[in-house]
Amino acid sequence: MDKIKLFIDGKEVLGTKGETILNIAAENGIEIPNLCHSKELKNFGACGVCLVEIEGNPKLQRACSAAIEDNMIIHTDTKRVKNARNAALELIMSDHEGDCVGPCSLNCPAHTDVQGYLKKIAEGKYSEAVEIIKKKIPLPASIGRICPHPCEAKCRRRLVEEPISIAYLKAFAADRDMESDSPFVPDIETGSGKNVAIIGGGPAGLSAAYRLILSGHSVTVFDSMPEMGGMLRYGIPEYRLPKSVLKKETENIKKLGVIFENNKKIGREEFSVLKKEYDAVLIATGAWKDMKIGCPGEELSGVFSGIDFLREINIGNVPKIGKKVAVVGGGNTAMDACRTAVRCGAEEVYVIYRRTRAEAPAEDIEIEEAIEEGVIFKFLTNPAEIIGENGKVKAVKLQIMELDEADSSGRRKPVPVDGKFEILEVDSVIAAIGQKYDSFGFEEMELSAKGMLLADEKNCSTNIEGVFAAGDATNKGASIAIAAIAEGNLAAAVINAYLLGVPFEKAEHRYSERNVTEKDYAEKEKAKRAVMPVKSPESRRHNFDEVINGFSEEQARNEAKRCLECGCHDYGECKLIRYADENRINMRKYKGVKHDIFTEKELVSIERDQGKCMLCGLCVRVCDEKIGKSLLGFRGRGFKTAIKPEFEHSEDIADCRNCLECEKICPTGALKIIK
Amino acid sequence: MRIVIGEGSCGIAAGAIKIHSAIEKYAAEKDIEIGITGCNGMCFLEPIVDIYDGKELIKRFVRVSESDAERIVNAVENEDFSSLSDIEISDEDKNFLDLQTRIALRNCGKTDPESIEDYMDNGGYKAIKKVLKMSPKEVIEEIKFSGLAGRGGAGFPTWFKWSAARKSAGEKKYIICNADEGDPGAFMDRAVIESDPHSLIEGMLIGAYAIGAQEMIVYVRAEYPLAIKRLEEAIKQAEKAGFIGENILGSGFSCKMRIKAGAGAFVCGEETALIESLEGKRGMPRLKPPFPAQSGFKNEPSNINNVETFANIAWIIENGGSEFSKLGTENSKGTKVFALTGKVNKSGLVEVPMGMTLRDVIYKIGGGIKNGKSFKAVQLGGPSGGCIPKELLDTVIDYKSLSATGAIMGSGGMVVMDEDTCMVGMAKFFLDFTAEESCGKCVHCRIGTKRMQEILTKIVNGEGEQGDIELLEELCGVIKDGALCGLGQTAPNPVLTTLRYFKDEYDEHISEHRCRAKECSAMLKYSINPEKCIGCTVCARNCPVKAINGELKKTHTIDQNICIKCGMCSKVCRFGAVSIG
Repeated sequence: MDKIKLFIDGKEVLGTKGETILNIAAENGIEIPNLCHSKELKNFGACGVCLVEIEGNPKLQRACSAAIEDNMIIHTDTKRVKNARNAALELIMSDHEGDCVGPCSLNCPAHTDVQGYLKKIAEGKYSEAVEIIKKKIPLPASIGRICPHPCEAKCRRRLVEEPISIAYLKAFAADRDMESDSPFVPDIETGSGKNVAIIGGGPAGLSAAYRLILSGHSVTVFDSMPEMGGMLRYGIPEYRLPKSVLKKETENIKKLGVIFENNKKIGREEFSVLKKEYDAVLIATGAWKDMKIGCPGEELSGVFSGIDFLREINIGNVPKIGKKVAVVGGGNTAMDACRTAVRCGAEEVYVIYRRTRAEAPAEDIEIEEAIEEGVIFKFLTNPAEIIGENGKVKAVKLQIMELDEADSSGRRKPVPVDGKFEILEVDSVIAAIGQKYDSFGFEEMELSAKGMLLADEKNCSTNIEGVFAAGDATNKGASIAIAAIAEGNLAAAVINAYLLGVPFEKAEHRYSERNVTEKDYAEKEKAKRAVMPVKSPESRRHNFDEVINGFSEEQARNEAKRCLECGCHDYGECKLIRYADENRINMRKYKGVKHDIFTEKELVSIERDQGKCMLCGLCVRVCDEKIGKSLLGFRGRGFKTAIKPEFEHSEDIADCRNCLECEKICPTGALKIIK
Repeated sequence: MRIVIGEGSCGIAAGAIKIHSAIEKYAAEKDIEIGITGCNGMCFLEPIVDIYDGKELIKRFVRVSESDAERIVNAVENEDFSSLSDIEISDEDKNFLDLQTRIALRNCGKTDPESIEDYMDNGGYKAIKKVLKMSPKEVIEEIKFSGLAGRGGAGFPTWFKWSAARKSAGEKKYIICNADEGDPGAFMDRAVIESDPHSLIEGMLIGAYAIGAQEMIVYVRAEYPLAIKRLEEAIKQAEKAGFIGENILGSGFSCKMRIKAGAGAFVCGEETALIESLEGKRGMPRLKPPFPAQSGFKNEPSNINNVETFANIAWIIENGGSEFSKLGTENSKGTKVFALTGKVNKSGLVEVPMGMTLRDVIYKIGGGIKNGKSFKAVQLGGPSGGCIPKELLDTVIDYKSLSATGAIMGSGGMVVMDEDTCMVGMAKFFLDFTAEESCGKCVHCRIGTKRMQEILTKIVNGEGEQGDIELLEELCGVIKDGALCGLGQTAPNPVLTTLRYFKDEYDEHISEHRCRAKECSAMLKYSINPEKCIGCTVCARNCPVKAINGELKKTHTIDQNICIKCGMCSKVCRFGAVSIG
């Protein structure tokens, strides 16, 4: 048959009369999004995503069914088309309820695939678990021990009884993997011939190094300290993260070919050399400078900064802190400092914190364990003056505080109670109230108003071409290790693109999130969170041995089995979320009630999640047109319409021959095979 | 003399059957003929009893009650109606019919719908006899000449559809009547079928002959039992008389006829959904093309017209297309039937020539607005249509002029609203309807109308926010562009027209939390004026939620936390002491 000529988005194409616009476009490499169309089935026209504009036709047409005509001029990307298409996607999303990925993963700064590795741990496949973890975290044994686990804070299991012990399971899997005969070793791409210098061997620098070496670049990490690990090595005490564990993990990175240059402090001159000799430079020096309390007496002998104190201990020196120690601050560094002070032999250790326990940013378990170890918390106090004698600390004068209204951070603001003070006699004061970036040697780098290294949050670029920055040194300043790792990963992706000469665009993912409460899990069988065996306070007070004893294998696997698998099994294949991303839709443009959400078994081995079903009708039609069974159908009217088995009798279900065509054709994760 | 009782659904609902029995009782053994007829359109005067002398209507009695039966019978017997002036129709009310031009409704309320003889006595089935001597092409030409357009709402030229179906190749062809009348407040189709079923049959027969159909199917909603009964009877009579069946009147043309009762889904009034339903499937629209003329019922060429369209056909053949096209305007020919309802004095069925102004229909025929209130707007076309405000009352009834206002001709719903109607509430009413009646197939309609309805609900509940109007406008645009069928594509019309003419009311609801029509109860506050309250306790006793406190002869007060704003206090207060703000 003769071909006819038409134009799609200005491109001249040929087709046979009677063919649909959708097919001709696809044949010519133009993808018109569609959600309810299948080549195997009759046209349906439900989703309204494939709308196109045809010149001369006042109405938008569905490309899945509109037939081509001679000299037709078709547009698939006009404003009107995009509005109607995006509206369809936005409307579907307003009525779509499912978790694309689990809330654990979403709340992890590095978006670690928690659900994926928990499944492997439950199956006892630890190296496979580590393979999944290392896609995001190159130091799982270390991070698993010290991470404040934002994942657990959002774990849905907390709506059943308690969150899963996600963080430690990661360490468990990594420990087992490293002990095994064949630990996981990642594949390395062939050499690119490019080299990268990374300044700083902490979590951000090491993560970037790991990713970049896997991408085939030569990587050298420079660090001023004798060992790699940064704050993990010199900020966190041994009893929380044994040096041996960290060492094994950093060595594993070294084994991949990363060159470690320790005891190399990079100053101005070295920096300019690096810039010349390396194709890219990443600054990941961290925030090692302490913040001052700002009260009289801070210059006295016996006043330490928390970071300096911990670093000295971690190097092997023991600063003279005396018998009575006051630690100022309510964060994790303050906890590390006070518990370390206990282990250094201090008899009375106080924590001075101007708010109450409820507002303290430190992990609750840290506070709890510190109390167990005898630390005395003085909440609602603030140092007004450090009193000295002969240039040495003698006491600290505490201003008594009270809480006012909530401030901009949402925490209640502490205010001094007029004239109320307390004198606390101490031998030393450790100020653990914050960290800053030290710009020494990097004077040419642009800084933020707060004195942090300024880097583009989307691509880690700085004011100097080829120089990137990540981690605690940048922008908002010091944060948790996993956040630095996430930034290190991002920096690696950016540098990789930079080295390959391709543009980098940070993938902006949209996620559908389910809105659930305890009620939704009322029927769920309860299973308590595994209790971590720990050493008794008495046996741990006077040494730096690791506090935890770790899970048994049985404990770990059972704990992993508690996972509710919130994330969608079809996330990687879902057409809906792909279009949502590609068209940059506003997921929350339309708000309103959602249709009846429930999950029910239907047919022989299929489960339908009504929350994810968008009524494209593909399952209904494949069963009818291809299989000839017509076991599914639309029911109800209007917004309440739902797809359900045509007859809800078991004899009709018996007619299902379990071909699974419905599940295969479903464009979202609404249908799932029950195993 | 003959006593004829109006027994359409409206007459029956008003008590016609009881009156009929009573008249039969009193007329027993008297030489008085008793007959029935359908609905003459004067719903506001039902029950109606007419007195005929031969073919001449000599008296018309309205709002008749059972107790009038005896004196009516006596009057007829004595041929003296002087004592019945109290129930005789007024000259003013006679205007209602006199100002109309009736073609589709020509027999309604005149002939006996259950008698084919009566229909034929009044010129029925002459047109089909004439048609059978014409060629199908000539028939289509005549319809083309008349300028008749589809009366179901879209106004597509009838001849064009017939011609397309005629030209389509198919083993079998079907002619289908769409009697799935679903617009709230519309009852034109029901009245025609109940009152004059043979004119529908004859119109369909002519169409069947023109396109070469072998079967005629009437898709009528099951909620119209009387219409179905009378049509079934009429089909039997027509079969017996040789108008339906094999070799009709010896012409060689054969055509069957049947009725399909629909389950009352609004969307089944959309032609492709109607076909799906006819085929026994769920009523969901199909993609067009292919159009039904190419591939319709059972994938065969099918032509679908509305009841009123068919009711015009025999008249056009009888009187000639040119007679029909003399009526109306440049772009719209003939007449249009409307179901005039709402806050109008005389509600009922009216048929007027195209080109009459809305003002004339509402004021001259409809007698103006009830209770001396002022006119605010008129809604045409039901949920798919739009409202037309006071300033545009002189708009003439034709397809083009009505479309220009943002409303549509529609199938004939004409709902009059007065100053007490909240236009936001009105738009919400229609969106409630379309959201409920969406078939659920396409995203834009299923979810889009729901979201519009939710925003409107927010606004009438006094929870509207800045940006809501813009979001509504945006939704209107994308739903019009993206919905699969006419139901979805036109669903935004009530919102678009109220936004066009009454945007200030939306703004008041959102910014000032005020409903000027005082219809949106969430925004009302009932309070008792101490200067007027005498402490009679009536309001307190009638309050269903005991929100009113006060002792005898002392001023009463309303507890706003308990008040549910039902308005009962205001209704029962005899001193005008309850103020609504």
